[in-house]
Amino acid sequence: MLELSDDRILERFSRIQSVQGGNVGRVWSLCDITSRNRAEEVRVRLAAIVESSDDAILSKTLDGIIATWNTGAERIFGYAPSEVIGQPVTILIPADRANEEPQILEKLKRGERIDHYETVRRRKDGTLLDIALTVSPVKDANGRIIGASKIARDITERKRTERALREAQAKLSRYAEDLEKQVAERTATLRETIGELEAFSYSISHDLRAPLRAMQGFALILAEECASQISPEGKEYIRRITTAAERMDRLTQDVLNYSRVARAELPLERIDTEKLLRDILESYPMFHAPAADIQLEGTFPLVLGNQAVLTQCISNLLGNAVKFVAPGVTPRVRVWAEKVGDGKMVRLFFKDNGLGIDKEAQEMIFGIFQRVSQSYEGTGIGLAIVKKGVERMGGAVGLESGLAQGSTFWLELNGAKIDNE
Amino acid sequence: MILTKPILYAEDDPNDVFFMQRAFQQAGIVNPLHIVTNGTLAIDYLAGAGPYANREIYPLPCLVLLDLNMPGKSGLDVLKWIRTQPSVSTLPIVVITSSNQDSDIHRAYLLGANGYLIKPGKPDELLVMVKGIRDYWLAQNRSPASWVNLVDEQKSAPTNPQTE
Repeated sequence: MLELSDDRILERFSRIQSVQGGNVGRVWSLCDITSRNRAEEVRVRLAAIVESSDDAILSKTLDGIIATWNTGAERIFGYAPSEVIGQPVTILIPADRANEEPQILEKLKRGERIDHYETVRRRKDGTLLDIALTVSPVKDANGRIIGASKIARDITERKRTERALREAQAKLSRYAEDLEKQVAERTATLRETIGELEAFSYSISHDLRAPLRAMQGFALILAEECASQISPEGKEYIRRITTAAERMDRLTQDVLNYSRVARAELPLERIDTEKLLRDILESYPMFHAPAADIQLEGTFPLVLGNQAVLTQCISNLLGNAVKFVAPGVTPRVRVWAEKVGDGKMVRLFFKDNGLGIDKEAQEMIFGIFQRVSQSYEGTGIGLAIVKKGVERMGGAVGLESGLAQGSTFWLELNGAKIDNE
Repeated sequence: MILTKPILYAEDDPNDVFFMQRAFQQAGIVNPLHIVTNGTLAIDYLAGAGPYANREIYPLPCLVLLDLNMPGKSGLDVLKWIRTQPSVSTLPIVVITSSNQDSDIHRAYLLGANGYLIKPGKPDELLVMVKGIRDYWLAQNRSPASWVNLVDEQKSAPTNPQTE
């Protein structure tokens, strides 16, 4: 072989030329094989690519007989080339997919290509694997289909990931369902509890108050109709019965009020606090001179609240302010308003000259059934109603106090805009 | 006759019945007070059914005082029933109950109550209320109950087509 400087490759051979038995010389034949050699190089390179591919690449005849088998195929299916070349490709196909191969062959004969067909094949050791299959017809120089090339990619890992993902999704949606079910169940339980509570407070208003009315009524009738036969001590006992019955009546009323404030829909409206305060002061003699001295100071911005509930809250605060004073002291209460929180909230202050409340008691004073003073009448619900009511209107309550200093209770509500603002 | 038509009082609590009877007496109300102790009996009375079949002894009342919370059929059930019965649908009905719940008041009026009173705790307060009932419902108020009875009487007037 001769390699020329211009990259041509020549094949040469010689023949001795003889004429009538006599050697007359040599004839040299030179043949340019450059293109043949290039083709060989390409073939080798292509074969190397096929060989080194991760995918299984094999070819088969139109009868489905395996013709070539690369290392990828060996790795994926577990068969050495010597074991499978010449064998029908069906050895790779699981029994339950036996009908696939005739269909594939049918398509190939029509010159169609099968692209990325996901299916299952069997390894030499019998285990199944998920593959993506691409099958293309192979044609000879005349364009006749003579076989097929088959590229199989192992997608077991991808399939496993997909399955895991699907399972995770299913699990997730199961969890979501469970969660929804739980929420629904708990909501139902809560509704039931609220229903029971409503029934309970209803029963308080009816069933508990009926015997109370009877006790009170008969005690009063007794005092009225049998007055001449009853000793002064007897009359005192009757008075105690009626006082206790009245107290019980107030208690049940307050519990009812509390549960109503805690539960009811509270539509909010614009409230003229000054007018509301004056109306409240007007309504109760215990807020008038000389029983008490109550002064409204400064201006009172409009607030957002529920008229009925705010009336109840303010009445309770003023009621406490005039009630809890030392004996002989005239209750003096100052009421004023301040804007707080960037002017968005309005705080109403109620400063009294009462007994005051020590630090420890302040923590619990807004709790239900908490009474600070044993020697003063009270149900221990009034401030709980105030707190619950104000909170339901989107506000807050608080106090500043010390023993023998008087107390300053405050309640804070959202300010209401004036129309022109 | 119309002035002494009875008042029907549906109330299951014997103490409240006692207080009411006492207050009626003190208020000098002459209309007899007929007591029924549950909702079913109230309906029986108004329908003239069962033990109340005899209208001579149990005439239709001119006013019904109705407790809401009674065993079996409640006051609201009775209210609903009365308003669907042509013969008594226009009867004045005043609810007397211990419930001051807005929902009860609302429902009672929705079902056609003519008034709603809350049972007072003390006998003297009850007397004030009963005097109010006497002055308003028995003395001043005009109700169509008498007209309904008039129609009833005309219907039952003896006409004998066979003798014509």
